[in-house]
Amino acid sequence: MRSHFPRWFAAAVLVAGVMYVNDVRTVREAVAQEKPKFTAEQVAFFEKDVLPVLKQHCFKCHGDEPKIKGGLNLTNRQAILDGGDTGPAVKLDKPAESLFLRAIHYKEDEHRMPPKSKLPEKELAILDKWVKDGLPVSADRIGEAVKVVPKGGVVTEEAKKYWAYQPVKQSPVPTVKEQGWVKTPVDGFILAKLEAKNLKPVKAADKVALARRAYYDLIGLPPTPEELDAFVSDNNPNAWEKLIDRLLASPHYGEKWGRHWLDVVRYGETNGYERDGPKPFAWRYRDYVIQSFNSDKPYTQFVKEQLAGDEMPGHNPDAIVATGYYRLGIWDDEPADREQALFDGYDDLVSTTAQGFLGMTPNCARCHDHKVDPIPQTDYYKFVAFFRDIRPYSDNRDVRSASNMSDISPPDQRVKYEADLRKRDARIAEIRKAMTAIEDEIIKTLPAEDQRASEGNDRPAVISKKVVPALKGKPKDEYTELRKERAELERKPTPPGQQLALSVNNCDPRPPATHLLIRGIPSAKGKEVQAGFPAVLGLPDPKIPAAKPGAKSSGRRTVLADWIASKDNPFTARVFVNRVWQYHFGRGIVPTTNDFGKLGEQPTHPELLDWLAADFMAGDWKLKRLHKLIMMSNVYQLSAQADAENLKVDPSNALLWRFNMRRLTGEEVRDSILSVSGSLNLKQFGPSTYPKIPKEVLAGQSVPGQGWPTSPPEEANRRSVYAHVKRALRVPILVGFDQPDPDSSCPVRYVTTVPTQSLGLLNGEFANEQAVAFAKRLQKESPDLAVQITRAIRLTTGRVPLAEEVKKDVAFVAAIKEKHKLDDFAALTQFALLCLNANEFVYLD
Amino acid sequence: MTNNSANQFCRRTRREFLWESGAGFGALGLTGLFANNSALANESVEAPKTITKFTNPMAPKKPMFPAKAKAVIFLFMYGGPSQVDTFDEKPELAKLDGKTIEVKTFGRGGHKNQGRVVGPKFAFKNYGKCGKRVSDLFPNVGSCVDDIAFLHSMYAESPIHGSGLLMMNSGRLLSGSPCLGSWVTYGLGSENENLPGFVVMLDNSGGPINGPKNWSSGYMPAAYQGVQLRADKTPIHDLALPEGTTREQQRTLLDRLKEKNEEHLASRADNSELMARIASYELAFKMQQHAPEAVDFSKETEETKALYGIGEKQTDDFGRKCLLARRLVERGVRFIQVYSGGNHNDHNWDAHGDLVKNHSLHAGNTDKPIAGLLKDLKRKGLLEDTIVIWSGEFGRQPTAEYAQGTGRDHNAYGFTSWCAGGGIKGGISVGKTDELGNFAVEDRFHVKNLHATVLQQMGLDPNKLSYFYGGLDQKLVGVEGAEPIKQLI
Repeated sequence: MRSHFPRWFAAAVLVAGVMYVNDVRTVREAVAQEKPKFTAEQVAFFEKDVLPVLKQHCFKCHGDEPKIKGGLNLTNRQAILDGGDTGPAVKLDKPAESLFLRAIHYKEDEHRMPPKSKLPEKELAILDKWVKDGLPVSADRIGEAVKVVPKGGVVTEEAKKYWAYQPVKQSPVPTVKEQGWVKTPVDGFILAKLEAKNLKPVKAADKVALARRAYYDLIGLPPTPEELDAFVSDNNPNAWEKLIDRLLASPHYGEKWGRHWLDVVRYGETNGYERDGPKPFAWRYRDYVIQSFNSDKPYTQFVKEQLAGDEMPGHNPDAIVATGYYRLGIWDDEPADREQALFDGYDDLVSTTAQGFLGMTPNCARCHDHKVDPIPQTDYYKFVAFFRDIRPYSDNRDVRSASNMSDISPPDQRVKYEADLRKRDARIAEIRKAMTAIEDEIIKTLPAEDQRASEGNDRPAVISKKVVPALKGKPKDEYTELRKERAELERKPTPPGQQLALSVNNCDPRPPATHLLIRGIPSAKGKEVQAGFPAVLGLPDPKIPAAKPGAKSSGRRTVLADWIASKDNPFTARVFVNRVWQYHFGRGIVPTTNDFGKLGEQPTHPELLDWLAADFMAGDWKLKRLHKLIMMSNVYQLSAQADAENLKVDPSNALLWRFNMRRLTGEEVRDSILSVSGSLNLKQFGPSTYPKIPKEVLAGQSVPGQGWPTSPPEEANRRSVYAHVKRALRVPILVGFDQPDPDSSCPVRYVTTVPTQSLGLLNGEFANEQAVAFAKRLQKESPDLAVQITRAIRLTTGRVPLAEEVKKDVAFVAAIKEKHKLDDFAALTQFALLCLNANEFVYLD
Repeated sequence: MTNNSANQFCRRTRREFLWESGAGFGALGLTGLFANNSALANESVEAPKTITKFTNPMAPKKPMFPAKAKAVIFLFMYGGPSQVDTFDEKPELAKLDGKTIEVKTFGRGGHKNQGRVVGPKFAFKNYGKCGKRVSDLFPNVGSCVDDIAFLHSMYAESPIHGSGLLMMNSGRLLSGSPCLGSWVTYGLGSENENLPGFVVMLDNSGGPINGPKNWSSGYMPAAYQGVQLRADKTPIHDLALPEGTTREQQRTLLDRLKEKNEEHLASRADNSELMARIASYELAFKMQQHAPEAVDFSKETEETKALYGIGEKQTDDFGRKCLLARRLVERGVRFIQVYSGGNHNDHNWDAHGDLVKNHSLHAGNTDKPIAGLLKDLKRKGLLEDTIVIWSGEFGRQPTAEYAQGTGRDHNAYGFTSWCAGGGIKGGISVGKTDELGNFAVEDRFHVKNLHATVLQQMGLDPNKLSYFYGGLDQKLVGVEGAEPIKQLI
């Protein structure tokens, strides 16, 4: 769960009466106990003085309503002694220390009751006396001692039977009436469902549509007219297969499929918040992902490297880079509450890992048991325990830290410089500390404005203008000496060949105990929990060997990774093949790809999902084989054309009687524009690029342009997957076409249609510059307008236009030229711009 | 409908469901919206499974119950104005001026247990029938106090700009959630499809810290993010025609584009996304015509402009933005946010050094325009259904930050916000801070209570307006919920 409240009193203030449901899955059992006795005078005091105060100020939240705030019921004596989430409200042996009294006296910042305002002195005195007297009450308010007994969590036998918790089971491919239509097992499963509803698959797509579909699906780029011609004229029965093989072997395949993965793992290259500081070398993770897809790395290895690459033996730079996975999320370098921020950080890891790899949402169980799925709150903290050795991103505001950077240079190179480097860094740190101390002595004496300035980016200016001139005598000499030495040390270059990576590092080999946190509040520690798997699966807690001396991590994440990357895990293969299916067909077999639970959607073709998952595992978890299996099927090759009869029965095409049309993604729109205009730079890998962002958009930053050193055009015109992902400043055309917010995992992108997209493509700087480049390209390729037009249509749609259409477009160019007094080139540019705006350019059949 | 099938049906991620029926976002947005619009928690409205016509995500939608307000103008005093120097008079604090006292504070400089008191730096006077006392920083706003409800007992969870801004805008310290303007437009759309439904006007010195994250739609579609608007000839990014292009020329292009798109559509007539995209070009064309008209002040009288301080050096800029805000409200824009202050340090209300200098500047820039806005809205009958909010992301401490000077550090324990219009009672002050003005002690209100009040007045139940994401029915007021501020409504 993403929401949190650091102070329980605050939560209580807000509640409209019914919001927080105290854990309903516990039963309270009466415990036999001797009843206390009070004098008539005491009872009268309670009834006359105490009870009215409680009724007026306390019972509304603490007893009268079925929803009891903070678990504290004040309507009977025993319940008060039992207390709520934060322990007993009254201690009879030490009344003054009672939380109840401290709260009503506003003695603790976090416990001020009643929250809206402090009680008048007179009423406080009454309650003080009452507590000191030993909580006398009338007989009807003594209450029964109760013992809270968990009702076996929420994992019932019934709950365990849910399909997603069952082992993957490969059932035989169904037999169908039209057996001739079945080209692959996929077709059998699809056709069986269609036949059951009397639906008929539509005809196959034409070859141009098919080739465009395959190019965009596999590499995210349009085919050139020449490539299309080659495919269309290849009548060999294996032409389609050859095309798939060729595209799967393309180095650009990983750029397309890597980007899908980056959506899932909330890939960002900055931290967000005030400074939105860069994540150094985050791009290595992006390159790692692209290369992993290109090399058809088994998914199990991909999983293990990301979750526990740092725990793998030997020098394995890829595996270290992969653990950058843990460092991609938001990070507040100046949190209001450090403890809260620590657990928000773990929450990001639990949410992303569970949703991304397992299709589970235990994040809902951060504060209480999952409302619907059998995920008790303990499961959440068991998950947290796996990650408990990962230290925070950084202990101070530095974007680099010993826990987020690793040196991945070859060991033989490292030995050459490491000792020196360590000595040098230590000395520099020493010098810095000494210099700062001297500076601070002077700063203390400066006016407030200068003191203020010295705390931010303006410190160097304050130092040079105000501090240095004010230095005298011994401090001055010391300071000058230190400064000289530091400058010399810093002048030494970074060791040649040193390579750093964003990663986890220096993890805690013996992590602190993990506790269940009551209502997710870091200060409200419940029972201790051990790293373990979802209770619904009934697995024992794993035995995790103690870390060896000198270990830089606890070894827990390897255990987690091994469990996830296992054939016995009911989620992993299903969740992954389902994502792949979604990216091919626009919709997963389970449409909610991050949530296989009951709040998600149910699978349309459960047997197919299992068949694919089993086949995927049998094929060594290799993805390219899966692509080919899917794409060789007839169902993938269906036309996107509608059929009136089918539409009536299955308007949303849930059963796949046709192929779903789709709009290009933001990256595909931008890359395609660059591609057809001839500007696309296909250079791969390395540090990210910074495409030009209009100044009106930069103006939204507190310091316009900060953190966005615009790349020269050649570099900026690389594929969008290489564009810097800055959390607080996004590339307009990408975000305009629904590139997701990177702050949390995105299972499926929105496809929105809004006028601002049209404004961007019609009037925007990028679109117009590219239209000019496109027109230049057309002019260069032919002097003849009709040829130029034909070529533009072919480049943007793949289709050979009909003569009639070309004629109309020629007339359009002539008209716009004449009516608006444009020259040939300007008129052609308008046509080029038109082509970039056409529905046929941004939609695939 | 049983609980279970309701769950199957409505509790799904919009993000995960747009493929359905190719209906574009609009229809699905509506189903999500009203998924919880019932006293019976799990009763739900059936989502349209059939193909629907294009609905602009910003198309107007009915409120859940009759609304008191139709539009919101949020005047965001970025940096954090000091409550004790503006609207929350503290005579006791004045007496302690210069003395070092025991007091718990939490700001950018961390937790402190004592500090040197900086007495209020401006004199207070009575204003209006209600006799509200306002400091000399806001004499013009003072003349409007009978229409204003002051909230002196606001508190937030972070005294740090980055997370504090996110909290005031989105209700959460964590980045990634939609902001108030996104929720309001998600719930109600906007009444004028030729203008963006949610606009943001920034200070000339730059945006606030976090930049566009402050008007982000987070996990909702980008259609609900704020659009930056400027009070000049090209109010919206990409609205102006490219250099050398005329409107007639663009029309020629659009006519041919439409023809081509319709030919393409002919054999794909069932695909409403394609239709939507055709419609979106016509809308874009109209927007180019209407948006510049909205920012064209030539039909405003000199008297009106003067009311906003337009033409005066200090108030011209903020005055133009306030007048534009009124014009946008008239034209049916749903949510308008105007920032006073931008960039860093003393470019905004963040008075760490010299409070007198800083607050004199920013109050001087905004006092007359804000009062002008309230008066103008009122005389045009717009104030009754427009909520005007004045707030920073937090307030400031009663004590000095440094050994010398009048600067104050941030304070989220207690601060003042105010609201006017849209059914909010005028001439009242709600809640109290302690005698130092440090900590909200009476009728304490969290930022979420303010958000809840806005939604309530707009006809949206803050505890029911939800959006399913990440396994949860997310709400602006969080899963715990929050009550509107009853004293105000």
